[in-house]
Amino acid sequence: MHSPMEQFEIKRLLNFHLGSLDASYTNSALWMTIAVICAFLLFVVGTQKRALVPGRIQAMAEMGYEFVAGMVRDNVGDAGKKYFPFVLTLFVFILFCNVLGLIPYSFTATSHIVVTFAMAAVVFVGVTVIGFARHGAHFLSLFVPKGVPFVLLLLLVPIEIISYFVRPFSLSIRLFANMLAGHTMLKVFGGFVVMLGIIGGWAPLAFIVVFTGLELLIAFLQAYVFAILTCLYLNDAIHLHH
Amino acid sequence: MRKQVYSALAAALVAGASGTAVAAEGGMPQLNPHDFAPQIVWLVITFVVLYLIMSKLAIPAISDTLEKRQGKIQSDLDAAEKASEDTRALVAAYEKRLADAREEARKLHREQAEADSAAAAARLAELGDKLNARIDEAEKRIAGQRQTVLEGIEDMAHDIAADVYGKLAGQPADAGALKAKVAAVKGGR
Repeated sequence: MHSPMEQFEIKRLLNFHLGSLDASYTNSALWMTIAVICAFLLFVVGTQKRALVPGRIQAMAEMGYEFVAGMVRDNVGDAGKKYFPFVLTLFVFILFCNVLGLIPYSFTATSHIVVTFAMAAVVFVGVTVIGFARHGAHFLSLFVPKGVPFVLLLLLVPIEIISYFVRPFSLSIRLFANMLAGHTMLKVFGGFVVMLGIIGGWAPLAFIVVFTGLELLIAFLQAYVFAILTCLYLNDAIHLHH
Repeated sequence: MRKQVYSALAAALVAGASGTAVAAEGGMPQLNPHDFAPQIVWLVITFVVLYLIMSKLAIPAISDTLEKRQGKIQSDLDAAEKASEDTRALVAAYEKRLADAREEARKLHREQAEADSAAAAARLAELGDKLNARIDEAEKRIAGQRQTVLEGIEDMAHDIAADVYGKLAGQPADAGALKAKVAAVKGGR
């Protein structure tokens, strides 16, 4: 019996070193590559015909495009147009990694905290840089809520600062933990199916079927949450609204 | 049978728990710092590649298609709007022509009626003239005839008087005196 955590094991497929940096091609890298290829097939090959009346694949790609475009427009406004390619890439990358991870024997790249944290850190640093570049020191007013008595500010400003610096952690742990928990759960119940055998294995099997549907929803939802939170952080940095 | 199921379930739970324990022993694979570098390296590579694919290929293509579609829809809508305006103009022109034609017909009808009545009046007048002429002519003829008759009567009276005088006197009367006498009798009336 395999451990439920074994599915998260990183396996080096090609050993590869850049000086002291370990750049080996792992199963994680393989599935990230597959995610990029799938995204390429959907968004470039699928839309190549540029039909005025789209086919199924083109309609799907356009739906994804307009979904993220609407998200950026509604949450950031016109100033967010510049960052739309990044948000779309983020959404599509996470979505494909999550969904592909549901294929049996595949690997979920987003179930690793390093990966999610790296993305969250890029978002956090990028948003902070954008904020300072647009507003200079005035960006710090983000930490000072308006119309609050001075005494309360003594309490609120540290809270605001802490909540700001917690962002990359909450963003990365949310995605990583969702993937980790879902896949572990599936694996544990898969183990039950084997253990209970032909007599009692049907119940956990039925559960797995239903739970896989839920996981599919979560795969989409977490990509959406990551993208929309990125939009909200961008909005904070650009408009300083609170 | 039920017992079997329970025991299997219990075994599964134990196995699951021990499996977790085994994993905990080795630590979560996610927390192995040895694996961090290759993941980040390939995350950066694949993410940048995807970003380039999206920003250079996918987004221009899709936004171009969407714009074209929007343009097509807009131009179709404009064309439909124009066509409906044209139709409205055509209908208006048609109705104007219809009204004009009706007006024309009414005018023609009126003119025709006027012309007809004028012609009838003219014919009537002509007929009246003709009739009057004939009446005049008839009257003239009647007057002529009367004159002739009257002259005939005078001649007859002359003849009768000469006859009577001849028979009474036994000799022919003097024509000049007789004529004067007849004229005197006629004038005396």
